[in-house]
Amino acid sequence: MAKALRTEALLDFLRAVQQDARRLVAPVEEDGLRLFRAVDRVEEITLAEGNTRWSFKEVLFPRSEALFHYRLSGGSVALQEPDQPEGETVVFGARPCDAAGLAVLDAVFAPNGRPDPDQAPEHEDPFYRRRRAQTTIIGLACLEPGPACFCTAVGLSPTGTAGSDLLLTPLPDQGVFLAEAVTEKGERLLAAHAHLFTDTDDTKEQATRAAEGRIQRTALSGVGGPLATLFEAPPWEELAARCLGCGACAFVCPTCHCFDIVDEGNAAGGSRCKFWDSCGFALFTAHTSGHNPRATQPARFRQRVLHKFRYLPERFGVQGCVGCGRCIATCPVNMDIQEVVAKVTG
Amino acid sequence: MMSDTFEPKIVAFVCNWCTYTGADLAGTSRMQYPANVRIIKLPCTGRISPLFIMKALEQGADGVLVSGCHPGDCHYTAGNYHARRKYTIFREMLHFLGVEPERLFFSWVSAAEGRKWADLVAEVTDTVRRLGPRRSAWGEPVEGIAAPRLSANPVPFEAPAGTFAAQAEAMREKAKALLAGGEVGTVIGYEQGTLPGTARPAFVSTPEEVDRLVWNEHCHQNLAVYAARKPAKPGKVALVVKPCDERSLVGLLQENRLAREDVVLIGMACHGVQSEGALAPRCAACQTRTPALADPVIGEATPPTATADPRLEQIARIEQMAPAERWNFWQGHFSRCLKCYACRAACSLCTCERCLAEKAQPRWIPAPPDGAGNLSWHAVRAWHLAGRCVDCGACSAACPADIPLYLLNLKLAQVVKDAFDYEAGRDPAAAPPLTTYREDDAQEFIR
Repeated sequence: MAKALRTEALLDFLRAVQQDARRLVAPVEEDGLRLFRAVDRVEEITLAEGNTRWSFKEVLFPRSEALFHYRLSGGSVALQEPDQPEGETVVFGARPCDAAGLAVLDAVFAPNGRPDPDQAPEHEDPFYRRRRAQTTIIGLACLEPGPACFCTAVGLSPTGTAGSDLLLTPLPDQGVFLAEAVTEKGERLLAAHAHLFTDTDDTKEQATRAAEGRIQRTALSGVGGPLATLFEAPPWEELAARCLGCGACAFVCPTCHCFDIVDEGNAAGGSRCKFWDSCGFALFTAHTSGHNPRATQPARFRQRVLHKFRYLPERFGVQGCVGCGRCIATCPVNMDIQEVVAKVTG
Repeated sequence: MMSDTFEPKIVAFVCNWCTYTGADLAGTSRMQYPANVRIIKLPCTGRISPLFIMKALEQGADGVLVSGCHPGDCHYTAGNYHARRKYTIFREMLHFLGVEPERLFFSWVSAAEGRKWADLVAEVTDTVRRLGPRRSAWGEPVEGIAAPRLSANPVPFEAPAGTFAAQAEAMREKAKALLAGGEVGTVIGYEQGTLPGTARPAFVSTPEEVDRLVWNEHCHQNLAVYAARKPAKPGKVALVVKPCDERSLVGLLQENRLAREDVVLIGMACHGVQSEGALAPRCAACQTRTPALADPVIGEATPPTATADPRLEQIARIEQMAPAERWNFWQGHFSRCLKCYACRAACSLCTCERCLAEKAQPRWIPAPPDGAGNLSWHAVRAWHLAGRCVDCGACSAACPADIPLYLLNLKLAQVVKDAFDYEAGRDPAAAPPLTTYREDDAQEFIR
């Protein structure tokens, strides 16, 4: 039987969760933007509808992190492990699209934990793996998807459970959040705070229908299929003529996971840093020789589209785009991936 | 290592011909001065890039001293005059970012002034010692000081009824004629975006496609960003430009990025554009409402109703903050920076083929998007646009993290105006302020 949490008891629940974990990360308002931040007081959390400016992926895959530190002295190198101070973390307010995006990060960074180990390459990112194990995701279903949203177009739902450990769906008419434990972590959360939850017969069906009905964008049919033959075919030049070549789309995306590694330091020592990179940058594929296999911006934009809709499904069996619409909303020139895929496959 | 007495680390960048020789004289004359100064010798103050100062601060210097030949004495005739202009702007920028002005020193020391050098170093060391260590590392907030927030009062958007529709029609007619007559191969204008209340750049190459083009208050992007790019279709490019966009064309002409005859400008008289449902702040008091260079100017604009630029009020409020508050104000905003470089990509005057941020040897800007890397990036970006930025607002509009980059650019535009009586993007024949100098440029800050 489903569980219900009274709307007014939400902050009590989050406060209790915060006491158990080292860190609670949730959407807050900052300088007019909504962002995921580690919160001190649960009252700071905003429950406003719509998406944060970028996803919570940096909780697991920080925009910048040190792989190790080094000191140089007298011809020798001393290495030092970096701190990973985050510890047990609970993310609250992950939208179903963002939570579904974890499948991509898991496939790339923690493939051995995936159900089909035959498909998994051996490499693992221990930093990601550790954070992933220490993180619990409390999803918050969307009742009012925005104009850029298209999760339903890629087969997801504003009230979908994928990726969440516990999903809360607001049922305003009943004055409750419907709580669904999706994983063992979610079960444990429910059990630990059982006194706040009651049994209920309510379902999220109506909320789901209403929320899905708000998404205006057309379904992307047969993605993966047609795109497999469209490397040269569609007019990428025309579609991407206005693309400026920044990395905003990649950095706000819940599934983009490319990174660069550099040594930052001076003659005495420094750190080997791993940080976000974007296929939108010309430098991303530039060779030392000066040759660049993706020489033009349209070629780079094509990579972004095909990586999401063809290469990730082919290679890892995961869906590369979760339809959160952030890249559409933040792009300075409104490059619209849903529009483009609909056009080239339609 | 903890020590009771703070020994400041001071980096001195000096020119080879005057100050270094002066320091040598101080040494051979057995003059005593504190050993806190690490001297780095360069050929000329003209070679002492502001990036050196920034790097010294990034690497933990408590104070920086720059010194070279007196005006008129430069071994290379005018290197110090050029340097003086650069430091005039750069030090104002660092102050605006919250670096304490008392940590930066500029002086002229001749080869004969061994005494002046020794006294200068003693004074610099003493000043910095009294200030104490820097209160935070480069790009990290000062602990225990709240980052003040700025708010702005939105100005409602107004334009005379029917303005846009009539202009749009005339613009499309012109675009059709240009394409049909073969005068241009591509018209870059605006079309409706896929989100409500948005427009986006559109490339059209046949008269039939022109019907897609729109003109309204959402046409905020600066299409001059495409001016110097090679079009996909053969032939010239026509750009739909607002008066502020056109000013970046002036910059591109000055810097020989393109020639006037390479591009056709369809100029739109402008009543401002919208930002978040209100008039974009830069438009509130904008006096440049009619394009000056454009081939046809379409429509007429009425003068603005507001008389004061609301952003100047914000700048004044930042300047009233104590340095540590100012520093934290900027670190607060920069901490959100993802290093997506949308600010650079949207800037029509960021025309370097390879950005400094992409160069690893030397690495002036730490690559990761964290404290030091973000501060250095935004400082360098603003610095490279000093005397060039035309205030089109594209960088701020492009930023996914809503960093108020315009405040930094506008501040530097004010400094340039005050110090050199120069406004970017006005006169294609004018010499940009950092390519020239006057012998009597102000130098109160140089001792």
